Amino acid sequence: MRIGDYNKFVSLIIRVIIFVIAVIFLVPVFLTILESFYYGGNFSFHGYQQLFLNCFPFYGLFWNSVIYTVIITTGTLIICVPAAFAFKFAHFRGKNLLYVIYIIIMMMPLQVMILPNYIGLRDMGFLYTRLAIIVPMIFTPFGVVVTHQYMREIDYSVIESARLETNSVLRVIIHCIIPQIKVCIAAVALFVYADTWNMVEQPMLYVDDDKLRTLSTFITQADNYSLEVMLPASVLYLVPVFLCYLLFHEELKQGLKL
Amino acid sequence: MDVKYMLKTETKKKSDDQRSRGIEHKLNKESGHKLSWNLRCVLCLVPSLLGSIIFFFWPYIRVLYYSVIDDQFNKNLVGLSNYIETLSNSYFQLAMQNSLLLIVIGVPALVILAIVLSLLLTFQLNKLPRLRDAFILPMLIPTASIVLIWQQLFGGFTSAIPIYLLFVWKNIGICIILLTAALTTIDQSVFEAAKIDGAKALLIHRKITVPILTPTIFFTVLLAIVNSFKIFKESYLYYGNKYPPNHSYTLQYYMNNNFLKFDYQALASSSILTSLLVLLMVGVGLKIQRRFQS
Repeated sequence: MRIGDYNKFVSLIIRVIIFVIAVIFLVPVFLTILESFYYGGNFSFHGYQQLFLNCFPFYGLFWNSVIYTVIITTGTLIICVPAAFAFKFAHFRGKNLLYVIYIIIMMMPLQVMILPNYIGLRDMGFLYTRLAIIVPMIFTPFGVVVTHQYMREIDYSVIESARLETNSVLRVIIHCIIPQIKVCIAAVALFVYADTWNMVEQPMLYVDDDKLRTLSTFITQADNYSLEVMLPASVLYLVPVFLCYLLFHEELKQGLKL
Repeated sequence: MDVKYMLKTETKKKSDDQRSRGIEHKLNKESGHKLSWNLRCVLCLVPSLLGSIIFFFWPYIRVLYYSVIDDQFNKNLVGLSNYIETLSNSYFQLAMQNSLLLIVIGVPALVILAIVLSLLLTFQLNKLPRLRDAFILPMLIPTASIVLIWQQLFGGFTSAIPIYLLFVWKNIGICIILLTAALTTIDQSVFEAAKIDGAKALLIHRKITVPILTPTIFFTVLLAIVNSFKIFKESYLYYGNKYPPNHSYTLQYYMNNNFLKFDYQALASSSILTSLLVLLMVGVGLKIQRRFQS
């Protein structure tokens, strides 16, 4: 007997209701895909033809988006796993305070951090280069906090036994920690990937050359291009995230131990 | 995102501390490393910490400084006058009013819908496992890619409803993940016992499900409030580069305008004010939550 052991009629109604709401939630995605194949009242690939043959900025921007997301996602993982490890297993004064600061920064909306990031980038001389978009995103505390939350359940005895084999921190992380947090790493990677793929403000404000910007800025400049090109561009913008979601959705649900 | 757990784990960490110090001495003697194990663990944090200091901590302190000087060149301390100017700016007021309205109306609507959906989903989960994905997917879909359809669907509205719908659409996924995770951990035997005693479904929900869910619901509300500040981007994308109607004017426009004018003082003081507002919301939320639990 489960919680919802109602009679069959109620159960059917509930299922229909959920199904209808689920369909409503997916309508915007379906409509975008449908309309991209719609030209002059018929089904056609006209929009895609226009986009591929006559809209050259698209290629560069798509490529930029791919490059930025790959570098940022990899970079975040390389930075955040050791940092989370340190937060869990190292002892130093002010560790808890530092962790609270990380959490506070994670909660801040981007609008709060735009000016500080801008100043940091200006000091480092990264402004108006690709690094301006990449570097601050790599250091966002989101990955560190989520990975650390997931590591909570790893017991210290695991580290102790690993240390009987090796005394290298790096090897302990690679061979002992990472296999245990694979699910979490997948979830963080998916989130960071989606977040980077979505970013709008950073490419708008930190670089001034259109060639360095991303696909999202292409779509915000919808006025400069015709609608028949924009919809296929939107679909192509959406497909990579969608594919990744299909591959990793189980990890996403299990990996977020909030 | 997970402040509440941090407090919980502290006690566990202490026992870990003592154990590790016990073996620390022995293991270090055996190995040839110059640096102690603990120090090398701390070094793992350095890349992340360095980046955070360069791009978040130190610039934030400088932004604090910028918010109390008159301009970049004279650098005279002017006290709180920048804040007073920002607070009395009608556009800043408008942006803040819209943000608060979203918290008062949008957040409860989102959380109630998420609770109802997760209850329904949990009871049917073994039969319809894939349906939950329909609600989680929007969380990852780039807003820019569906914004054109959103404009077509809701272009006729002259209120902020499209933005509110976008907010619910984007954020319901994470709420449902959290709530269904909490619901599935409830021990089934509690329900069975209640059923044997003859309790009706509605009574079971009121007396068992809701009390057990309360901490998670609270956390979800907190997360929704934090995320409601992040809707600036969605509103910005929805209205494009054009000037938005007053009901959807958000902080993003205010920031962008001041960015173009290079008005650091206005930017700095509004950044600080917004961060204080977020901190206040989270602080009050956590305080109420702790009172609830004790």
